[in-house]
Amino acid sequence: MERIIAGFVAALRESGIRVSPGESLDAVQALGLCGMTGRRSSRQLLRLTLVKNVNDIPVFNEVFNRYFSRYKFFDPEMNVPELMDAALIDMEGEFNYLNQRQDDDHDEQGPLLKLDSDINPEDLQDLKSLTEIDPDDSDGNEIVVQMKGYRGKAKAPRPTRRYTQNPLTIELNKSNSAPMGITFTHEEQIAMQDVVSRMMMRLRKDMKRMKNNQNRGKLHVIKTIQKNYRHDMVPFQVALRRKRREKPRLVVLCDVSFSVSHASRFMLLLLHTLHNQMLDVRSFIFNREVAEITEMLANMPVNDLMETIDKGDIVDLDANSSFGQVFLAFKKRYLENLRGRPAFIILGDARNNYDEANDWVLDEIREKARYMLWLTPEERDTWKRGDCLMDIYGSYCDRVEVVKTVEDLSLVVEDLLRDIYADHAHPIDKKRLREAKAAEVYDSKDYYTRGSSGGGEAVFEPSGRSHW
Amino acid sequence: MITEQGVKDFLKTGGYIADDAIATAVFLALRMEKPILIEGPPGVGKTGLAKALSSALDFPLVRLQCYEGIDEGKALYDWEYGKQLLYTQLLRTQLDNYLSVSADLREAVERLSAEESLFFSRNFLVQRPILRSFLSEKRSLLLIDEIDRSDDEFEALLLECLSDFQVSIPELGVIEAKRKPLTILTSNGTRMISDALRRRCLYLYIGYPDLEREVAIVRIKFPEICDTLARQMVEFLRKARELNLRKPPSVSETLDWAQVLSILKESQLTPEVVANTVGVIAKHQTDLQKVNDLAVQELS
Repeated sequence: MERIIAGFVAALRESGIRVSPGESLDAVQALGLCGMTGRRSSRQLLRLTLVKNVNDIPVFNEVFNRYFSRYKFFDPEMNVPELMDAALIDMEGEFNYLNQRQDDDHDEQGPLLKLDSDINPEDLQDLKSLTEIDPDDSDGNEIVVQMKGYRGKAKAPRPTRRYTQNPLTIELNKSNSAPMGITFTHEEQIAMQDVVSRMMMRLRKDMKRMKNNQNRGKLHVIKTIQKNYRHDMVPFQVALRRKRREKPRLVVLCDVSFSVSHASRFMLLLLHTLHNQMLDVRSFIFNREVAEITEMLANMPVNDLMETIDKGDIVDLDANSSFGQVFLAFKKRYLENLRGRPAFIILGDARNNYDEANDWVLDEIREKARYMLWLTPEERDTWKRGDCLMDIYGSYCDRVEVVKTVEDLSLVVEDLLRDIYADHAHPIDKKRLREAKAAEVYDSKDYYTRGSSGGGEAVFEPSGRSHW
Repeated sequence: MITEQGVKDFLKTGGYIADDAIATAVFLALRMEKPILIEGPPGVGKTGLAKALSSALDFPLVRLQCYEGIDEGKALYDWEYGKQLLYTQLLRTQLDNYLSVSADLREAVERLSAEESLFFSRNFLVQRPILRSFLSEKRSLLLIDEIDRSDDEFEALLLECLSDFQVSIPELGVIEAKRKPLTILTSNGTRMISDALRRRCLYLYIGYPDLEREVAIVRIKFPEICDTLARQMVEFLRKARELNLRKPPSVSETLDWAQVLSILKESQLTPEVVANTVGVIAKHQTDLQKVNDLAVQELS
């Protein structure tokens, strides 16, 4: 039985569920306590002990079905009719398996492995042969090979800032040339959650320390007395007044016109995932007119929102995008209401369709903003071509970044968040952060080097992307 | 020996209808002496399970409600400083006599430090929920509620308690649990709980119950509601859950509604009945309208 569990655990790890040795021991113990009374209960036992996250349950079910679906009897004492029966069940099983693959998200009757009636716990030894994966099966072989690489562990968060094997990048690269749907696939959403949650993990640690340091202020007399009551009022421990902490604010203006739909859809997904995390985000979308979607991001499933936007219900998508008009409208309607020196992110290609530039508005926004960041999907050398006003608009911004993939996007946003928090940080932390930043080694793939010498551009593949 | 069916049965006597997964989890937790971590949407009976278990098994319930900033002084133990101070004051004369026989200061300090343990003994230890449940003579049920509200530090603090069922107190040493309590942690998933903690627990996800189980839950709590009405209610609420409401009605809302309907002595769901009692199941203004629309569409 131990071998079966070990094999099954290996299969789970291969599928990306992290299972510790302790948990597999638990599983063995649990099976020993309850006995193998049926497929359903065994599945429940394994799930209780091995899976520790709701999101992993569907994957677990799939692996369970796959792993416990093929079996062969190698019992020499088995007579021919029984063998026939076994073969029949086997075949049936394959069919069942094929049929059930589409909708086996939950337990209920799984494919087969007839543990139920004909095998009692004493025969557990036989089970080994039941679950051996057929070596002729190409599928099986692949799994065996991959298991050696322990891909499950590769999913663990790593200390590096770049995640080279991100599934989303691959996904993005693949789908680049193909026409893209507007709604997100389930995988994309999962991958995005993955990217964001890792980003949050890294950020949270720093934030926590900074937050603690921010509490340093004047002496809080009452609290100090309370705290030192135990020391007979001798103030060994000092309580300090908490400084009023400003919540970092973020305002995002996102172009949703067709020319940047690649980038904006991921920006929106990132925003959707970021929402309620730890920031005060206000999100706007624009084409020729501008509209706020903060509420919708918080309350609607992302695909519904994408559809609504795509239908042109929020802003008219048929019109030509005009940054000048958008800035003007934004100034009129929203700028006065923005409090607390937010950081601005503008995502767009700055293609103004030869409309009036109105770049003086950016100057006013600049006054209100702590920081201004422009994200464009276009290369630097196209910034002056045609109706692109990137050079003019860019001169008002603190930074202009070229973002092409979700990773670029999340890196830029993470960096920005760090900057925002660093602004609020205690002087000691500020110094530490500055040192850390100076010590950082930039390699050629880093987005910082993007425009410095044109050297960074070799990384971007020319197909499709530069002609948005 | 208790079996899984046995678990189901005695939970039923405690007024809790369990499904297979819950029964197996409880059974395993009892046999393997491991904590259960329960996650799920609010109001599906995570805390209810703990209460039902405690009454059915006759384990005293020790409840620890987590909140931001909870620390060991609130969860494990604390020293009773006031009492310590008071005792030193009261015993001052005794102390004087006791120390006056010593020849010099060095000896006095030695004498005093020999008695130091007096003031850091169990007499002055305030037991907080976790330690209390560990030291309970009878096997108890420790409920650590809404663990996701606490901080990371507190989670780390729990690791020792939950894996070894012991508490380390620097002044006293390691205190081990007399009877390992049946431990239940609940979480609403507002924050990711660390893998280290998850690894030490059995993981149980309680979602919305299926139709039959929910009807059974209504029937066991409110026997006066007839089967057809219970079924009608549950079916309606199941549809309402798919409406994409801001706060989808949970099992606790089902039970509230059942109570309201039984007080009003309704025997049939109509759009009017729903409209009159909609405040029980929908908790946002936008939701109210949606539920009313559903009632008109489904029930008329």
